[in-house]
Amino acid sequence: MNAVTCFHYYVVACVLFVTGLFCILSKRNIIAVLLGAELVLNGASLNFATLGVWPASMVDAAVDGQLLALFVIVLAAAEAALALGIALSFYHLHRAPDVDEARELHG
Amino acid sequence: MQQLAEALTSPFVILSAIVFLPLLGALTVAVAPRLTEEETKIFSLWITILVLILVLWLAIPGAVDGRLGSLPWDQGRVQYGFSVGWIEAFGVYYFLGLDGINFPLVLLTALLGPLAMLASFGIDRQVRAYCALFLLLHAGMLGVFISLDLFLFYVFWEVVLLPMYFLIGVWGGPRKEYAAIKFFLFTLAGSVLMLVAILLLYFYSDLRLLNEVSLRACQIDPAVLSGKRGQAVHTFNMLALAELARLPQSPFDQDFWGLPVSVWIFWLLMIGFLIKLPAVPLHTWLPDAHVEAPTPISMLLAGVLLKMGGYGILRLCYTICPDAAYQFAWPICAVALVSMVYGALAAMAQSDFKRLVAYSSVSHMGYVLLGLAAWTIVPGDPSSRHYWTMGMSGAVYQMIAHGITSAGMFFLVGVVYDRVHHRDLSQFGGLFNRMPFYSAVSLIIFFAAMGLPGLCGFIGEFFVVVASWRFYPGVAMVAASVVILTAGYILWTVARVFFGPQYRGPHPEALTDMTVREKWVAIPLAVTAVILGIYPKLLLGYFQPSVTRTVYHLATWADRHLETSTTATGPQAKPLGETKFVPSQISSAASLSQTSPGLAHPSLPHGGPARPDGSKNSSTETDGASAPSPLAEGSTVTGQRPEGVLDQAIVRPGADQPKGTGLVEGRR
Amino acid sequence: MLSIPILLTIAWLLPLGSFLAILFWAPRLGKHGSAAGLLATVAIAASFVCALAAASLWFTKYPIPSAESHHPPYGASGSQPHSQDTRLADPSARESASAPGLWTQGKAASKTQGPSQLILWNAPSDRSGSTERSSRPDQASRVSPRHELANSPTREPLGPVPLLTGDWYVLAEFGHLRLTLGYYIDTLTILMVLMVTLVATLIHIYSLGYMHEELHPEVSDQEILAGDPPQPIRRPGRFARFFQYLSLFCFSMLGLVLANNLFMIFIFWELVGICSYLLIGFYLERPQAVRAASKAFIVNRVGDFGMLVGLAAWWGAAGTFHFADSPRSLGLFSRVAQAELDHNRTGQVVSPGIREQPSGQVVNNPDYPERPVAYGLLVLGGLGVFCGCVGKSAQFPLHVWLPDAMEGPTPVSALIHAATMVAAGVYLVGRFYPAFPPEVLLVVAVVGLASLLLAGMMALAATEIKRVLAFSTISQLGLMMFALGVGGWTAGLFHLLTHAFFKALLFLGAGSVIHCVGTGDMGQMGGLVRKIPWTAGTMLVGCLAIAGAGIPPWVGLSGFHSKDAVLAQAYLLMNYIPGIGHLLFSLALIGAAMTAFYMFRLWYLVFWGRPRSLDQLHHAHESPPVMVVPLVVLSVFAIIAGWRLPGLGWGIAPALEQARPISFISGQWWPWWVVPPEAESHQDSIHVVVSWLAFTAAAVGFVLATLFYGTGLFRLPSGVGVLNGLVLLLQRRFFIDELYQRLFVAPALHLASWAALIDRKIIDNLAEKLAAAVVAVANSGDLLDRKVVDGSLVGLGQGIYGLGRQLRQVQTGLLRQYLLAVVVGTIVIFVLVQFL
Repeated sequence: MNAVTCFHYYVVACVLFVTGLFCILSKRNIIAVLLGAELVLNGASLNFATLGVWPASMVDAAVDGQLLALFVIVLAAAEAALALGIALSFYHLHRAPDVDEARELHG
Repeated sequence: MQQLAEALTSPFVILSAIVFLPLLGALTVAVAPRLTEEETKIFSLWITILVLILVLWLAIPGAVDGRLGSLPWDQGRVQYGFSVGWIEAFGVYYFLGLDGINFPLVLLTALLGPLAMLASFGIDRQVRAYCALFLLLHAGMLGVFISLDLFLFYVFWEVVLLPMYFLIGVWGGPRKEYAAIKFFLFTLAGSVLMLVAILLLYFYSDLRLLNEVSLRACQIDPAVLSGKRGQAVHTFNMLALAELARLPQSPFDQDFWGLPVSVWIFWLLMIGFLIKLPAVPLHTWLPDAHVEAPTPISMLLAGVLLKMGGYGILRLCYTICPDAAYQFAWPICAVALVSMVYGALAAMAQSDFKRLVAYSSVSHMGYVLLGLAAWTIVPGDPSSRHYWTMGMSGAVYQMIAHGITSAGMFFLVGVVYDRVHHRDLSQFGGLFNRMPFYSAVSLIIFFAAMGLPGLCGFIGEFFVVVASWRFYPGVAMVAASVVILTAGYILWTVARVFFGPQYRGPHPEALTDMTVREKWVAIPLAVTAVILGIYPKLLLGYFQPSVTRTVYHLATWADRHLETSTTATGPQAKPLGETKFVPSQISSAASLSQTSPGLAHPSLPHGGPARPDGSKNSSTETDGASAPSPLAEGSTVTGQRPEGVLDQAIVRPGADQPKGTGLVEGRR
Repeated sequence: MLSIPILLTIAWLLPLGSFLAILFWAPRLGKHGSAAGLLATVAIAASFVCALAAASLWFTKYPIPSAESHHPPYGASGSQPHSQDTRLADPSARESASAPGLWTQGKAASKTQGPSQLILWNAPSDRSGSTERSSRPDQASRVSPRHELANSPTREPLGPVPLLTGDWYVLAEFGHLRLTLGYYIDTLTILMVLMVTLVATLIHIYSLGYMHEELHPEVSDQEILAGDPPQPIRRPGRFARFFQYLSLFCFSMLGLVLANNLFMIFIFWELVGICSYLLIGFYLERPQAVRAASKAFIVNRVGDFGMLVGLAAWWGAAGTFHFADSPRSLGLFSRVAQAELDHNRTGQVVSPGIREQPSGQVVNNPDYPERPVAYGLLVLGGLGVFCGCVGKSAQFPLHVWLPDAMEGPTPVSALIHAATMVAAGVYLVGRFYPAFPPEVLLVVAVVGLASLLLAGMMALAATEIKRVLAFSTISQLGLMMFALGVGGWTAGLFHLLTHAFFKALLFLGAGSVIHCVGTGDMGQMGGLVRKIPWTAGTMLVGCLAIAGAGIPPWVGLSGFHSKDAVLAQAYLLMNYIPGIGHLLFSLALIGAAMTAFYMFRLWYLVFWGRPRSLDQLHHAHESPPVMVVPLVVLSVFAIIAGWRLPGLGWGIAPALEQARPISFISGQWWPWWVVPPEAESHQDSIHVVVSWLAFTAAAVGFVLATLFYGTGLFRLPSGVGVLNGLVLLLQRRFFIDELYQRLFVAPALHLASWAALIDRKIIDNLAEKLAAAVVAVANSGDLLDRKVVDGSLVGLGQGIYGLGRQLRQVQTGLLRQYLLAVVVGTIVIFVLVQFL
């Protein structure tokens, strides 16, 4: 069996990123959009972590990757709080969790 | 007290008065509120009479015993002028002056002013505006003739245009707007070309080339030269420009777009003046302007405005561009002949009395142009220039004679028009018995216009026709044939208007004889026509010295620049009689050497017309009063290289090749 | 003391004085101007007296030699030029030769007069026959017969020709060119002034009676009917104005005769023309009179055009108009003389330059090189001057105005169109004779002969009395021109002077006939001899004189002598130029015969036979004495004018001999035409033959006239077509008027209307089109402004606005679409980066 190399991690990170992205783009419900956002963040932090372990050729091994992953997790938490706040006010404003309701800024 | 008299008779006061008195009159008339119509007319009449008195006072030689001493009209120089700085920065001077050429025309304008004003007592609409514009026009006309500075000349030229436009446009006949705008645009087009020529003259002129004597003769104070180091000192002064043109290396011979500047200047000025003259292709404004203008205005238009063209040609074109005058003698003569014949023929076909008189003016002014343009100077033959003096004197005389006869004719048409309000020649007749005095005066004026000897029209006509023979016999023959056409249309008009059993038109009862006011206008004109016919020396005495001097300078130019080969090149085709020079006989060989004035040509002490010892050609002429005083030649001092050398250098290219280029290469 | 020039000047200025007096004080001159007539008559009479005094002074000073032999030595063939020998020696010598007299130098513009110069032209005294012509190499061989004649005994020493000349007043001066008014007095001038003043005085007296009805304040002119019931129009009387114009005419005519240069002649030439215009158009109510007046003046002006060209030619070539020399410059005659002499020397006709030494010496000016005067210029100058004469003397091409000029009152026709003005042309040819080259003289002869024959034929068929006389004037003037053309200077001018008398007599007679019969149409006359015997008698004398009646070799009426002299010269021509000479002489004889025929035809039609209209006859009455006396006086002159006082040898012909120049320019173009010297025509042999031939011609004419019109034996067969056609042709004056109308007048008017059309149609609408073009440019400029400049900016704005509008659709407000755009953009960038 072959060892789990950085490539596999990349793939998982990519999958996470893409499904998150797709979830954001396709879901009309605001909560789903937020979920998608979370997935994207996780994918990114996974990527950071793997890069921390298998740094790119030019950078010698360093802990930046893992540090950044932690940073992303903290950031994600703040972002989730904020996002849920927005979602609540969005819900109050539009009476419906549908993201498409917010058309006021259309051209 | 003597001081005051001296100051009062100084040229500055008198000449400015002549020009600006009518202007002040115009202002007072325009501004003064309480004047009734009658008073305004009387007031402006008195203004014009005052100007006439001033001019007549100058006319009497010896009358002005002020600073300038009596006016020695036989000197042929500027007798009575002054030059005061106006815009010194650009060399523009308020330079007014009287000399032989412009004084008779000033006299004519001053005479016609009061007569026209007297004739305008019939005007009833907006009299105040009419009088103001009339006086402004009068001032402009006097200014044009008196000013000797090109800038000032152009200003007055435009000042004349404005009032004339309004006078025709407001008080005119049915098609007055069309006529006024046509007149205005035609003349304006001409003056635009003149402006270009004036600027060319200005920027190519350089006072440093003139010596001390000639500068002072042109009333320019030499200090002006000291100011600018190195650059050229430009000038608008007509006399200085004429002096410059006479220099062996005249600044106007330089090249400008392939042609010498003098050719450009000549044609630009000539077209402007031909429109004003009017010569045939550019004349159609005249009949319309005359037919629509009120009587007094068409008197002035025909009497004076047409002469501004002729005066300009004589004063500017022929003194400043002698080589172009020589080169283009033929085209100008052709235009003159066409104007004469065409004007007479067109007059014959008119049914409107005023239009007929207008076309007769075109024909008469053709004579003036022919007199000026017929170049009879043959380099080897000093006697040939007398013919051109005769031709030019005839032209200037014709200008004044035509001024009187055409003003008279227009007034007479006006007299009849005021009574019966129509000008259709086929509806007149039998005036001789109804208006005997009117008919008598009209016969005198019409026969004067026909060129009957003993009246003023004949003198100018005869001189021009007879003098043009030496230019080319064919020209004299065509000019002489116009005599028949003129007799044709004048007699036809006299027969239709004055003779015949009875009057065929409307309002026969209105045909009363002349009123006293009308007599006061007609009699002076008739009397002047007779006097000028019997005693031409009255006028010749004034302008002949200046004309002789102009022709003298043209002759010296011709001697210097034209080869005295056996067959003179250029337009001077041999008259029928002179197949070739006689190389034999000592005289012609002797005359060959004398005519090209070598360095021996002295510059004369200022003032006295001492006999030039060097060139023999003028010493033996006992022309009596008309001895030319080649004062202030000023031509040789600057030329470092001896003249003789220059002559050889001048390669005389064929007549067709532009003359200037040859000269230019020679010099560089 | 009163010298001759002063006397003649007074004689000249008196009529001007009366003209001005009448002009200014006409209304106050007697009732309706009657005193004006007296004033004018007194003035002209006084000038006649002055002329008489001047003549007597002249003939006492320079008597006509009373040599018994038929040829007075004075100027037998006196020649203007100086003999060849004096000429060559030294110009100043010539000066001495002609220096005895003094020169009047009229100071500029002042009338003061010094003593006048008597220029005595010396001519070669040696009779070696070395006249210039024969000595010329190329001439001598061809003209051999003349050579012997030249040496025949009859050639007399050439006496000096007395000549008084001077300037009164300088009109204008340009260097050496001078235009002056002055006098040129020789016997020709004296005789002409005498003739003009005498005839004018008689005619003034005559017109006091003739113009009587003009005195009434209200005159009704029968000829013009106007108004609805057509009755003759009424107009104010114009008695004073008639005499005013007559005085002006006399002044101008005398000025013309006295002139000493061509310029002065030209001035009075036109003044005389304007006087004839005013007098022909005297009845200005009659349209045909006004047309005739305008026609007369314009045809004269055509002649003057030619003269002006001639003057310009002379002025251009010689630089002076003066006939005689003056201290300042050579006169025309001496220039031409010297040109001719130089021609002999250098084979090149050269006009001398002008030298004016202050000392008054007349020498050539070295500065003005002698210019070759082409022979053509001499001919052109001569032809130009002659063209003026043709116009004034109504010769062939320009004769159309004289018959119409009969519209004027009869005294006018008598004075102007018979005796004086029309004679001015012949006078000028006589005066300018030395400067005429033979070619020009040939033209003169031919034109004269043409006028003689044409006018004679037209006179045959004329029906109106004054038209017949007008045609006879044209033909007699043609005879004079012919005489001058063939060298008969004295003959031509002798005929001019005698013709003035009997033609004035005939016209005045016709006037009194019209006065008493009321109309001029000969058809209504006939048998008047009993009613108006005096007029008939005097007119008979006139007819006899003009026909040349007399006892052949010795004595006859004035016409006989003068016509005989003319025909003698023509006869002489025969043996100079055999072929053409015979033709010319025979044509002249035919002319003489025609003259006799139509004059007696006139006389018979008017006075003889049965009266054709009775009412005219019974109220016809003889004219008042004031009209008959001039007739009688004139008839006396018509008889004695030609005679020669046996004792003293005085007479018109010898007097004229004294002033006879010869034309000495030798022909270059047509050497065959040699002008025979007149002296040879004075031989008795010629006179006897010629007088008999002339007498027979006149007799033939007389007999024919009496047969046709006197006794009525022969009647013109009216049926014959060809004859009627011929009569019609003559009555319509060969349709020359219509020809000129179609040839000159109509095209001129057409050209005129065409010129006016050009103005309106071409130049004006060219100007209008130019103006329209400028307006169009202005409009297009405005259009340009609005469309292009504004358009582009507005367009730009709208474009951007449109673009903005499309872009707005992109902003759907849907957040998810934006994210999608971001994702797609990132992917595209990654892809591009891969590939670029």
